[in-house]
Amino acid sequence: MADQTRKKILVVDDAGLVRRYYREILESAGYAVDEALNGMEAMERLLQQSADLLIVDINMPQMDGLSFLRQLRRKPGAPGAIPAMVASTEAGDDDRSAALAAGANFYLVKPLSREVLLEHAGLMCGQRHG
Amino acid sequence: MSTILPATEEELRRLCEFLYRNTGIVFTETKRYYIERRILDRMAATGATSFAAYFAQLRAHASREIEHFINALTVNETYFYREEHQLQCLSNDLLRERLAARTDGGPIRIWSHPCSTGEEPYSIAIWLLENWPEVDRHEIEIMGSDIDTRVLEEAEAGRYGRRALMRLSPELIAKYFVQESDEQWRIIEDLRDSIRFSRANLVDPAGTRQYGRFDVIFCRNVLIYFDDGARRVAAENLFENLAPGGFLCLGHTESMSRISPLFEVCRYNDAIVYQRPLGTRHG
Amino acid sequence: MPLIRKPQTGTVASPAIQDVRAALNASSADERWSAARQLAGQPGHDALLAETLMRESDPRVREALFTALARDGSEQAVAAILPFIRSSDAGLRTGALDALATLPQAIAIHIETLLADDDPDVRILSCDLVRHLPTADAALHLTRLLARETTVNVCAAAVEVLSEVGDARALPALHACAARFAEDSFLVFAIELAVRRIGETGASAPPAPA
Repeated sequence: MADQTRKKILVVDDAGLVRRYYREILESAGYAVDEALNGMEAMERLLQQSADLLIVDINMPQMDGLSFLRQLRRKPGAPGAIPAMVASTEAGDDDRSAALAAGANFYLVKPLSREVLLEHAGLMCGQRHG
Repeated sequence: MSTILPATEEELRRLCEFLYRNTGIVFTETKRYYIERRILDRMAATGATSFAAYFAQLRAHASREIEHFINALTVNETYFYREEHQLQCLSNDLLRERLAARTDGGPIRIWSHPCSTGEEPYSIAIWLLENWPEVDRHEIEIMGSDIDTRVLEEAEAGRYGRRALMRLSPELIAKYFVQESDEQWRIIEDLRDSIRFSRANLVDPAGTRQYGRFDVIFCRNVLIYFDDGARRVAAENLFENLAPGGFLCLGHTESMSRISPLFEVCRYNDAIVYQRPLGTRHG
Repeated sequence: MPLIRKPQTGTVASPAIQDVRAALNASSADERWSAARQLAGQPGHDALLAETLMRESDPRVREALFTALARDGSEQAVAAILPFIRSSDAGLRTGALDALATLPQAIAIHIETLLADDDPDVRILSCDLVRHLPTADAALHLTRLLARETTVNVCAAAVEVLSEVGDARALPALHACAARFAEDSFLVFAIELAVRRIGETGASAPPAPA
């Protein structure tokens, strides 16, 4: 499959094992996967290559996932509208509300099964936020 | 499986993940052989008898082993027109943005910090004189600072050997240097007199504050040598020394994402740079 | 030649300390930021810095307050930073953790308590703090945690850090955890990877030179 036709997913999580887990599942389902360790690096990666979907953790060094989403949603045009799923260990309703208010489209609690991950990736890739 | 290293694929990945986490440098599959060679070199240099023992040293930041490892990946010698793409970004984009954002009409202020023996600030000067169409319409103040007074003396003296000039055309050398011997050239007096050199410490705000605010700061390949705490302070000091909307250029393997959330990242055709936000809203 | 060279300027006078302390309350974020930075590295201001942190909303000023406390690095400073890892504000949690990451020796005495906290979120975040301890200590803390932990995400956090700091001594706890949580595909995957990263050559490495 030509690279341009593959949907691109940017995985943003400071845990290398989590990024690896998502990568293996998503790549085997035909997605192109890029990685970032925190919100700032995610912003840098997006400046170099856009994405069709973001999977974002909350607790990361230097810039947490919600700060990243808030900054992203302020950007004009396509980058600001990339759909984002937050996948976090935080399980409270307050955490969910905060994430949606920051600009997440979906909020999922870790750990994600392969089925849940692929189902949401399929649903959300190429949609727009807002 | 590695062909030269006594380690499995996953063990090697453990080391790469550790370095990625700490430095932001991505060690891709294509660099694999080069990294393995580097590990073998460092194992020999440190006397580590096994891959596990070497990784333990790396993790313990023993004798700043991370910096030793990374040093091989960045060519650390200094020369004129090093990382030329950032100079291109300066004349193509950064100065234009700064002039558009500023209304005070004061000089454009550029800081090379650390400046070492002066190649960087002189390069900036020469580059702008040669490549920036607007150069005669504005006053430009270039300052070079370093914590080491010996290199500052050398910078003021402005004498360089053949290797430092290797990226410059013969025309540029003839225009901006006087050849003093077979192997030594000196920056012309006009240029030497136009750049201010001063002692400064990146980690000491009381010392750097006096220099005021700059439009662009080049701070390349030095933050990696600081520990986490010092790095944060240095980032804050750099932020304070930038005008709102001012730009910071790091070395090409460095990233603010491992240092501080103060800056916003900006992409231009020639380079990725960091910016002190214009407004007061943040994050 | 459009290049200009300005004459040497004098140093900026330092304001009196009580004025700096008062400026933590200034209406301008720039002034509060400046005040927080001036207090960094000066002992005796932890209580005021911590109190300011509790009511400060500007992210840049909060960052400078955390940095100032971390530069102090005293027992009191660490005690002032720690509560923020429980904050409901993700930015405050990150700020606190980043500050604590620069103080491995000072955080060491708190680790056991943090890893035994009732709140699984605190245990999760504390696993990452363990990463900054000396390798052998880090591995021991996490191996012990893994043996008793019942919350899957805490195990995952411990496994993540063990994949960096662990050696052969961690393997039994890792295998036992994988058996306990056999139905969790992520944790099983993570443990398998951690085991491979620790590897055959992960037999106890000689202590690293200081």
